Amino acid sequence: MTRLTTTADPADLRAPAATRRRRADGARDGFGAAFVLMLPAIALYALFSLTPILLTIWISFTNSGGFNTEANFVGFDNYLRATEDPIIWPSLGRTFLWLFYHVVLAGGLGLALALAIGRLSRTRVFFRTAFFLPHLVSLAVVGVIWANIYDPFYGLINTALTQWGLAGWAKGWLSDPLLVLFSVNVASSWQGFGLYMLLFIAGLQNIDGTLYEAAEIDGANALQKLWNVTLPGLSEVMTFVLSLAMINGLKGFATVFVMTNGGPFYASEIITTYIYRLAFQAQDHGLAAVLCILMSVLAITITVAFNRWRARKSS
Amino acid sequence: MSRRKPAEWPMVALLLPVFAIILGPFLWLVTSSLKTEAEIGRGDPFALPKQLMWQNYADAWNIGGFGSLIGNSLINVAGVVVLTLIVCAPAGYALAKIRFAGREWTFYAFIFGLTIPIQAIIIPLYQVLFNLGLINSMAGVVLAQVANGIPFGLFLMRSFFLGVPNELSEAARIDGANHFQILTRVFLPLSQPAISALLIISALSTWNDFFLPLVVLISPGNQTLPLGLVRFASTYSTDFRLVFSGTVITFLPVIILYILTQRRFTEGLTQGALKG
Repeated sequence: MTRLTTTADPADLRAPAATRRRRADGARDGFGAAFVLMLPAIALYALFSLTPILLTIWISFTNSGGFNTEANFVGFDNYLRATEDPIIWPSLGRTFLWLFYHVVLAGGLGLALALAIGRLSRTRVFFRTAFFLPHLVSLAVVGVIWANIYDPFYGLINTALTQWGLAGWAKGWLSDPLLVLFSVNVASSWQGFGLYMLLFIAGLQNIDGTLYEAAEIDGANALQKLWNVTLPGLSEVMTFVLSLAMINGLKGFATVFVMTNGGPFYASEIITTYIYRLAFQAQDHGLAAVLCILMSVLAITITVAFNRWRARKSS
Repeated sequence: MSRRKPAEWPMVALLLPVFAIILGPFLWLVTSSLKTEAEIGRGDPFALPKQLMWQNYADAWNIGGFGSLIGNSLINVAGVVVLTLIVCAPAGYALAKIRFAGREWTFYAFIFGLTIPIQAIIIPLYQVLFNLGLINSMAGVVLAQVANGIPFGLFLMRSFFLGVPNELSEAARIDGANHFQILTRVFLPLSQPAISALLIISALSTWNDFFLPLVVLISPGNQTLPLGLVRFASTYSTDFRLVFSGTVITFLPVIILYILTQRRFTEGLTQGALKG
């Protein structure tokens, strides 16, 4: 709570003189002390976060053609170019599809496994630990692993299918334009679901056990308990995981970069890989900055929307 | 819990195939990493290696320079974790326990950064690092990662400190302690759960980070483990035994560390994520 610390608080007037003096001192040194304690955070944050945020907005209005080059103000030119760019809009569409895959695959698997494990007693820690292992692997390393799993000739999937006499099902998982985004997302979601599972397990532990007892007295079966007690009890964690999974999906980069680099023919290009391409390869900073702003707006929208939703549900 | 639990084995039986699918990639990588190139080329993923080729690991370690990659990654993690705690604990304390004008406004300015993805500010961030002479240096990566983690770390520490009763700090204040002393002598010893949550989350995300090191660390000698592995795997993409054993070298240490500290790790990660 921010209070104007110079105005006398009625409580202060009633307090003994010693306390009053102490509070007044606290109020006087409040800003100075707080500022000193926050200074390292403010300095780093201002230099490496706030300044870049503001500069990104500025760059989007210039014709910057690379690092350390002269840039001039060009108004909304880059924004107009963005509307005509043949890659931006399909990439944005793929980003949404990628988000959707990640929420369904990683969020769905996390929820399903949490529900399955939550009922166990002796083997719960074992399964929880085992299922979390993929989350410890860097997404870039996950990209290397799954690029090999999907290898058309030596990869785990196609060789296993051939061994089982299902050679007809073998596919070019990363070369088929219709499959590639999904294939790469499976790799990302394999890495991502473990955290969501842990969050759901924590949510399950917070559900009041007496609710289950009451449901049992009412003669509810397992499915009815799941539907009427467990899932409503998880709704807060669910909105949190949903927003986290959407933000994580939006930030997805490493697996795509490592496994396909956006290919074949842009079939797996998403917003982050296109930003990287524009910024560090094409050196078209103006256009890249427009995309950066678009990405920030999406992230802010997701966060604000979920915060409002949560606030509305809890009130 | 007096609630009667149903028998456990049907669910375990149901989970075993899922277990095999989810952990299958690890098992396949480890067995393949111990095969000869010819055995891998036979394309039978379920065959065991005739002879365990530990030599693959020695070759990958030497060719890929994994020793220095792991060293770089450790320096990176240590730098980020220590700096994050030093920066976020005092700021979280100030925002939780010191009354000053503009406190909320400051807090929201920090929280704003939580929503902006690092990729969305990468162009000027690179330029800032360049102007400071920090491109291709670990210091540059560390500072940018710490700054990127400030909103989360500060939020976590603040919400923990808010739960510490004011009586404690007021008692110390009557004894003449200043804010810094209250923080280090009263609050920090109490905040072990928050500190370990922040430590675990920032260590894991730094160890696994790819985007910032990719942009900042250019020369191979400076690179971190994920970056080095990706370079190694694309250079030797046809040498499967090397790629497989190099990959195992990359993920095995963290997995062992996790299994050893599993309970604490899970607790810290969950609490940290739910608070943040």
